[in-house]
Amino acid sequence: MLNDPLPVASRTQTRSAKKHADHGWRLGRLNLELRQYMSPWYQALILGSALVVGLGVSAALLVAAGVKPAALFDEFIVDNCTDPENLHSILFQAAPLIFVGVSAALAFRVRFWNLGIEGQMIWGGIGATAVSFYDTGPPALRLFLMMVFAALAGAAWIIVPLWLRVRWHINEIIITLLLNYVALNFLLHLLYGPWLDPKDNFPHSPQFRAFERLPELGFGISSALVLALLFTALSGWLVLVTRFGFFMRFVQNNDRMALAVGVPIGLVTMVSALFSGALSGLAGFVIAAAQEGRLTQSYFEGYGFSGILIAFLARSNPVAAMVVAILVAVLFVSGRSLQVFYQIPFAMVQLIQAIIVICVAASEFLMRHRVHWVR
Amino acid sequence: MVAALKLVGVRKSFDGFVALDDAEFEARAGEVHALLGENGAGKSSLMNVAAGLYTPDAGQIFVDGEEVVLSGPREATACRIGMVHQEFKLVRPFTVVENVLLANWRGRFAPGVRETERQIKKKAAELGFDIDPKSRIDELSIAERQRVEIIKVLLAGARILILDEPTAVLTDEEAVRLLKTVRALAAGGAAVVLVTHKLGEVTTFTDRVTVMRNGRAIALLNSRATDAAQLTQLAVGTTVASPRRASSPPGEPCITVKGLRAARADGHVTVNDTSFYIRAREIYGVAGVGGNGQTELVEALTGVRAPLAGSIEIEGAGDATRASPERLRDFGIACIPSDRFGYGIAGGLSVVDNFCVGQIGEGIYGSWMRTNGSAMREATTEAVGEFDVQGVRTLRQRAALLSGGNAQKLIIAREFTRNPKVIVAHSPSRGLDVRACAAVHERLLTARARGAAILLISDDLDEVLSLSDRIGVMTRGRIAAEFEAPADRQAVGRIMVHHA
Repeated sequence: MLNDPLPVASRTQTRSAKKHADHGWRLGRLNLELRQYMSPWYQALILGSALVVGLGVSAALLVAAGVKPAALFDEFIVDNCTDPENLHSILFQAAPLIFVGVSAALAFRVRFWNLGIEGQMIWGGIGATAVSFYDTGPPALRLFLMMVFAALAGAAWIIVPLWLRVRWHINEIIITLLLNYVALNFLLHLLYGPWLDPKDNFPHSPQFRAFERLPELGFGISSALVLALLFTALSGWLVLVTRFGFFMRFVQNNDRMALAVGVPIGLVTMVSALFSGALSGLAGFVIAAAQEGRLTQSYFEGYGFSGILIAFLARSNPVAAMVVAILVAVLFVSGRSLQVFYQIPFAMVQLIQAIIVICVAASEFLMRHRVHWVR
Repeated sequence: MVAALKLVGVRKSFDGFVALDDAEFEARAGEVHALLGENGAGKSSLMNVAAGLYTPDAGQIFVDGEEVVLSGPREATACRIGMVHQEFKLVRPFTVVENVLLANWRGRFAPGVRETERQIKKKAAELGFDIDPKSRIDELSIAERQRVEIIKVLLAGARILILDEPTAVLTDEEAVRLLKTVRALAAGGAAVVLVTHKLGEVTTFTDRVTVMRNGRAIALLNSRATDAAQLTQLAVGTTVASPRRASSPPGEPCITVKGLRAARADGHVTVNDTSFYIRAREIYGVAGVGGNGQTELVEALTGVRAPLAGSIEIEGAGDATRASPERLRDFGIACIPSDRFGYGIAGGLSVVDNFCVGQIGEGIYGSWMRTNGSAMREATTEAVGEFDVQGVRTLRQRAALLSGGNAQKLIIAREFTRNPKVIVAHSPSRGLDVRACAAVHERLLTARARGAAILLISDDLDEVLSLSDRIGVMTRGRIAAEFEAPADRQAVGRIMVHHA
């Protein structure tokens, strides 16, 4: 067919050479392939690298904000590893973070975007405080009752958006989010009104009695942390071991298909979402009963965001969420001391959280694709 | 004569899987060139290389004898290569003009819109398409969307036109119409590449044919000098015997549907007073042009959509009219949905999960407290072997990575291991190659011999005619006529078209 091969060949060369010169630097030379399967080790490696990059960027920001690199090392590594006081505050701080992280993970597992964690925490706190305020039940059972009421109140606050979602397919994101403000205003109503502490007239509830507070168990371990670990184990079992958890995977991945093959998606969604609400309620309970010792105006602030972030980093795995929550606790505690000693605003902690999330989210791309250069 | 498009020694691998292995291809201006092969033979991959979407690992691309390097679709467009993909690349909430404009950007917006609109009208008139440039893609039928894609590509100046399995989504009539248009384009000087696995199209509508197998082009033939048998032999490697219908007599009615009425999500009633029954050891075929209520009928029978009126009775279980999908499955209903990856499989989950979800409720993979992973893997391994699901490199691999035919086999494995009493199969061989198609038909006939009552709904009239014991023609939401096998193709076709 090519009756005149030579000239064609030479033309070909010049044209392709020109093309290369034009486009050699472009993304077109970068080849992307979908990965068929990826070993857990490689996934861990990618995830680890993403964390390192995220921490590196965060460290650079902190240095730019005036923290000396040596101090950074002291605050985040030396102090946290050696100072028992610091370790204690980290574990203390970890308990509510574990609760909200696992709560978000359970909801995300069934694609219920629970942005109402803070509202459910508020109701959890209100439920627990109501038991204390109205002196309900014998002192021996008091803590248990507070816990149950907190869980029930948290779960109750998710019923309306849940019902709207399951029955009428109304988007839960806006509703759970806006209900946070309803819960907040109700809380303020209680704290400035009927539950105002008569002792000092400050807008917080009266102090809990000794038997209404979660005790320390020694060695710096709070019973709040033990509770958190218990519920993590329970959620981990539910999600990773049971048939219910198997069904959750299908609801998360393809709910239309799940329905068609007989997965009870309504039931699975409702149970998971209610459980998520209950766990958020318990987060409110442990802050009130272990940290503050009363109901305050702002004990829930920031936990909604942190819970979502923890669940995201843990890929909605409750056990991983526990680990991530402890790391976020390190960040919280170190952030507070940076705040005190270097006048770094607490917003910096949230900025660091966000940077890490962005890095991990970006690393997802490398997990799903293989990238290589052609020629 | 220099080939308009020539691909030489093209290699492409995906994560270790070699899709193209030294593939060659050439198409001349003025011809319709068929690219034939089974699913996974590499047809679409090769054409994606030509369209600039895939960067080949090795190989050269020549346009009119000059080598080009395509780093993206934009460069392919500059070389006047245009491709209409199997999955249309249209923004659905946008209008026709907006979609065409998106692909062929103009300097200024408002004059660009007017100019594009004028060009679309002109092109549509030329091709005999009836398209309103201002209508939204959402409002158009599949065939109309395809026409928009073709216009979009032509207005970008394409002279080398690649159509990836264009007739897979069309009815017989629409397909013929499209193929005639394609011939006219070739007569106008374009080089048209028709990717297909339908042999009839190759022999009647194309000039030459390249046959691909396992990532290689193994033959280049003159379409007029070949026949279906030779092409099958080349594409498949061995000749596939078409399964024969067994002649065992049907038993008692297994499922009876009376006066069924169902509506789409938007409230439009699409199943209207449908009645039929299916006996054990019987395949009841439903023929009809797609969109005449078939989808909603399947949804009502599988419990995904509650019917508005009428009744569904299953022998041994009684009234099942508004039963949930779970209960219907307990009654022995199994379903092969037409939208394989939408309703048949959870693509992000593993092959094991996708297989085991069918029977996990029966407690054979551990109690509710603890699922037994090793029992699940064992059962899956066995089923994957028995139902010949290929491409499973590890059981943990995501099901979305299976090819269409293998995904279908996995669905069939899941649904048929339960020994269902009633099987609802909706377009079970859509988009499958000859071999996978034969495997699916074989499974349906085996299930029939085992005593199942099978509802076979398909747009493919030949499929319905060759497998069914009785045939109902569905038009406008009801069974307009019934035929005993062997039915007259002409008679069935007439009812399909006339009542539609």
